[in-house]
Amino acid sequence: MSEEERREAVVHHAPHPEQELIMHLEPDQLVNETFRPVPRAVLGRRALFGLWALRIFCVSVSAMVLYTFVDRLN
Amino acid sequence: MAAPEITASPLLGQRQLTDEDIARAHDRSRVHHARAANKRGRLLWLLVGPGLLAMLGENDGPSMIGYASDGAQYGLGFFVPFIPVLFAMAFVCQEMCMRIGAVTHRGYGELVLQRYGKVWGWFGAGDLCLTNLVTLVAEFVAIRVGLAYFHLGSGVAVALGLTLVLFTLSGGRYWRWERTVLGLAAFNGLFLVVAIIVKPHFGTLASSLSFSPLPHGSLNTLLLLLASTIGATVTPWMIFFQQSASADKGMTPADVRHGRYDTALGAVLASIFGIGALIAGAALLHSGSGIQGFAGAGFPAALSKVAGSAAGTLFALGLIEAGAVAILTISASTAYAAGECVGVSHSFNTSPRNAAVFHAVNVGVALIAAAVILIPGAPLLSIALNANVLATVLLPVSLLFVLTLANDRELMGPWVNKRSTNLIGIVVITFVGCCGAAYGIDSFLQTVGLIGS
Repeated sequence: MSEEERREAVVHHAPHPEQELIMHLEPDQLVNETFRPVPRAVLGRRALFGLWALRIFCVSVSAMVLYTFVDRLN
Repeated sequence: MAAPEITASPLLGQRQLTDEDIARAHDRSRVHHARAANKRGRLLWLLVGPGLLAMLGENDGPSMIGYASDGAQYGLGFFVPFIPVLFAMAFVCQEMCMRIGAVTHRGYGELVLQRYGKVWGWFGAGDLCLTNLVTLVAEFVAIRVGLAYFHLGSGVAVALGLTLVLFTLSGGRYWRWERTVLGLAAFNGLFLVVAIIVKPHFGTLASSLSFSPLPHGSLNTLLLLLASTIGATVTPWMIFFQQSASADKGMTPADVRHGRYDTALGAVLASIFGIGALIAGAALLHSGSGIQGFAGAGFPAALSKVAGSAAGTLFALGLIEAGAVAILTISASTAYAAGECVGVSHSFNTSPRNAAVFHAVNVGVALIAAAVILIPGAPLLSIALNANVLATVLLPVSLLFVLTLANDRELMGPWVNKRSTNLIGIVVITFVGCCGAAYGIDSFLQTVGLIGS
């Protein structure tokens, strides 16, 4: 069933005053559609390496900032 | 976290329609009617919000005290053109967030979690919680500084902040929350009024546009200035907030153009008001008074002596506004992130009963920050000064994921980044990463005695 058909099904069975209102939403804006997870992306080895390198670097620098912060408190 | 499969069953069909859908559809119907009737002003009015709030929310207490402090210490040179450059960088990042939210109808936290895995999703949420908590403490401190000018204490600051969070949540509608906070955010313009009252020298103002004179001081001082000023314009909470708020508002690809106007308007106003705070601070440049920005009534009291009580009063009120708006937007960004990562309802359009995590985190995170400022002897000054620096240091990873999502053709379709946007995005990430890292590493090496100050 396509997204459009799913919305039609929802709209069709909604109480009458709400039918017209819901037509203002895009099919994938309905709450139940947004709970449908997006497919997982495949990250290449180089992209993963780059992400982990940046993450470790940022955490290390944060640790340095926090260490300096605590040291200067004393 | 996945919703049950939707079928054409009448019973199930009725169950699919939530109160959140109805509330959002109401907002969307007004947008559709304005667009159909070609009412441009009305359409813009309906669609502005997330961009303005992200930008003006970032003109928060620590940022405004930081700008004023820069002005008082170094004058106008360098900072007058540097602040707009930073907000231009912020525009590039926030426009991507708005576009991703409008196209995918999902927040940053849930997209990273679902698309790249739980590890990256929770890392992002962890960064956000840490920086948001520290920043929220700084916001309460800023409110306290503003209130101290009126001889009111920490208890009043806590009561004011928490009352605002509860009041804005009580409406049960995104639209009401957004408009209330926008109304409050308009008072960020008080800093511009103060700048006019202190009567800046226009010759000095014009000559400062050449990025000179550069601030004097040690390398570490300059790096701290750079890192904290960057942290005053682009931060992780803005990324989470604008993307989630754009989705919660119900924006669609048809609204991207107005989303850009909204974000650009926010960047321009925030830049002008930030320069206003800088000019106000610069009035104290040769006053000889030792300014302690976060201590007692700090800047408002000093301004009052130099430029009259009206300037001091308006600056104090501006600080209260800046702190209050930031408490609301930063708490909201934490709540969005929590709801998205846990996989439960996360919208202002949902009642507390149906979105317990969202509402509990929204109030809870403000409550924790409020509790910290009531602790006797807590190092509030240090926390406030380090809030922006920590945000700068942790920002590059979040920005890199924004850039990756904005280039994800499977998610974004024709709305993927242009090559020029990618180029600017990479420059911004590199610049932010280098400034944050340089300060962190230099300070650390000085602290452990490996290099001299």
